[in-house]
Amino acid sequence: MASQVNDANGAVNGALGNAEKLIIDTDPGIDDSMAILMAFQSSEVDVLGLTSVFGNTTTELSTRNALLLCEIAGREDVPVAEGSSGPLKGGTPRVADFVHGKDGLGNTLLPSPKGKKIEKSACEFLVEKVSEYPGEVSVLALGPLTNLALAIKSDSSFASKVKRIVILGGSFFALGNVNPAAEANIYGDPEAADVVFTSGANIVVVGINITTQVQFTDADLLQLKESQGKYAPFLSEICKFYRDWHVKSDGVHGIFLHDPVSFVALVRPDLFTYQKGVVRVETQGICVGHTLLDQGLKIWNTSNPWTGYSPVSVAWTVNVEGVVDYIKELLMKT
Amino acid sequence: MAPDMEPKKIIIDTDPGIDDAMAIFVALNSPEVEVIGLTTIYGNVYTTLATRNALHLLEVAGRTDIPVAEGSHLTLTKGTKLRIADFVHGADGLGNQNFPPPKGKPIEESAAAFLVRQAKLNPGKVTVVALGPLTNIALAVQMDPEFAKNIAQIVILGGAFAVNGNVNPAAEANIFGDPDAADVVFTSGADILAVGINVTHQVILTSSDREILANSNGKYAQYLHKILDVYFSYHLESYNTKGVYLHDPTVVLAAVDPSLVTCIEGVVRVQTSGITRGLTVLFNKQKRFGEIHEWSNKPTVKVAVTVDAPRVMKLVMDRLLDS
Repeated sequence: MASQVNDANGAVNGALGNAEKLIIDTDPGIDDSMAILMAFQSSEVDVLGLTSVFGNTTTELSTRNALLLCEIAGREDVPVAEGSSGPLKGGTPRVADFVHGKDGLGNTLLPSPKGKKIEKSACEFLVEKVSEYPGEVSVLALGPLTNLALAIKSDSSFASKVKRIVILGGSFFALGNVNPAAEANIYGDPEAADVVFTSGANIVVVGINITTQVQFTDADLLQLKESQGKYAPFLSEICKFYRDWHVKSDGVHGIFLHDPVSFVALVRPDLFTYQKGVVRVETQGICVGHTLLDQGLKIWNTSNPWTGYSPVSVAWTVNVEGVVDYIKELLMKT
Repeated sequence: MAPDMEPKKIIIDTDPGIDDAMAIFVALNSPEVEVIGLTTIYGNVYTTLATRNALHLLEVAGRTDIPVAEGSHLTLTKGTKLRIADFVHGADGLGNQNFPPPKGKPIEESAAAFLVRQAKLNPGKVTVVALGPLTNIALAVQMDPEFAKNIAQIVILGGAFAVNGNVNPAAEANIFGDPDAADVVFTSGADILAVGINVTHQVILTSSDREILANSNGKYAQYLHKILDVYFSYHLESYNTKGVYLHDPTVVLAAVDPSLVTCIEGVVRVQTSGITRGLTVLFNKQKRFGEIHEWSNKPTVKVAVTVDAPRVMKLVMDRLLDS
């Protein structure tokens, strides 16, 4: 695409020289794969690297799948840095293989990638790139926030140097998807999420209260399959397993586009409205992983755990049709 | 009310409290219900003061025939560091009017024992309207395994469903007052209707409504217009509004006439630790989760989601003016 209005002020990004430097922290994952391939198809962003994390799959498998996706896209030049194998507090991570298949890609049993991950860890890579281009690098975080929390903890200037962090995570004033209180990415590492949300970085968070409004129906999936899209055959193949899980779990004949929607929030923020406020994450009890936004409707007469932190932008409404059209446009691009 | 219908027996568990006072008066002036007792609890004030105010309000109403049973001074987990909302209701809980002490005394029985006994005496006939933290009700549930079955319904003012709280962004004041008790009550299996601040924030008494109270000859109207000053100041400071939320009267009226609210049914659990202590999370079973979770296999309750605010306001005004 030649040019695209890419923020609410109507600024235009077109030539690759202007493209936004982007690191995608990801646990591919079927909808992660869609978002990553969208990024590769977009002239809006210059993908500096992928960092891997557990979530939809183990970190090891995420690394493998990230490498595979780079090869499928002919972008073996994009470095893949492996992230933390578990949450900040330790322990074995919860892995959603019942959603994404044993291999994370809908049990499509693809051959191993030829490429190798880089030596640096995800945290080191994030810190290095953000220091190299202060104020220029955005991060799209599609999994649990462990790598970003580690980067924030290891470099006190990371939060101020990163351009912005667009997070797929949380469920704001709505049910979770792991249990009634918690969304999967935040539940995967609640301590890390709380570190990131309270870090003072420029943060946009897209919760499942938004992403579950944006679906590909069976008809949309068929349209993708029959399109000339460069990655349409691959995506159609991996989406089968994901689609069948949605029927079982939510009675939805189609798929939620969690990760693609988050990518759209990065490049087309004008398709969303936002509420600004402090977000904290519960790290204890039955509501562990719950994200809670102070909407600022009341003047508190005493301090509370939300007091004194920087507000973040929480996606509040979404132009569903605009986002679906944008996703289709990128995924059906030849 | 059909003439042959017996009024519904209700016990009001309360921490008066300016809007509690209003709710008690509305209940006393509602022919659809018969108030068979007040039980007291900390919250807006300490339990001792709640008892004193309950006795005082019954004397103002000329209804000293109604027993007052004093409730717990401690939370279910024996907590003593209780949060008292004197900045909302005044140091005396009734708008700093320095009313003389009541002549009457509470009955010997504890609130929980009173609740258990009344529920057993009239199984399926007694409704509890719970306007404060749920300690007494939880103690009744624990004291008598039959209580949850014997009680007709527990109508609760509590929780913030899919909105911010009023103590902090996570928690509503009554649930925050004793989250452990609230979780016991919500999962007790009793017939429960929870009315949260997501609903009660829609029912607002404006300054012109207050003028109408002031200019009427109604006994309750006259009394309330005086104590409302502190409550109006608090709302102006905290919410920047020139009106006050009628939490407690709305809940009493929901018990009087359930058609004033619409509800959804689901499992409610209360977070008892961490920064979101007091958070109420409703699971309405719309989604199927892959794994067993803390909401699985628990009894459901009704949670109010809409309210006919104009009709509630009309009933409140009518019953306060005609007194």
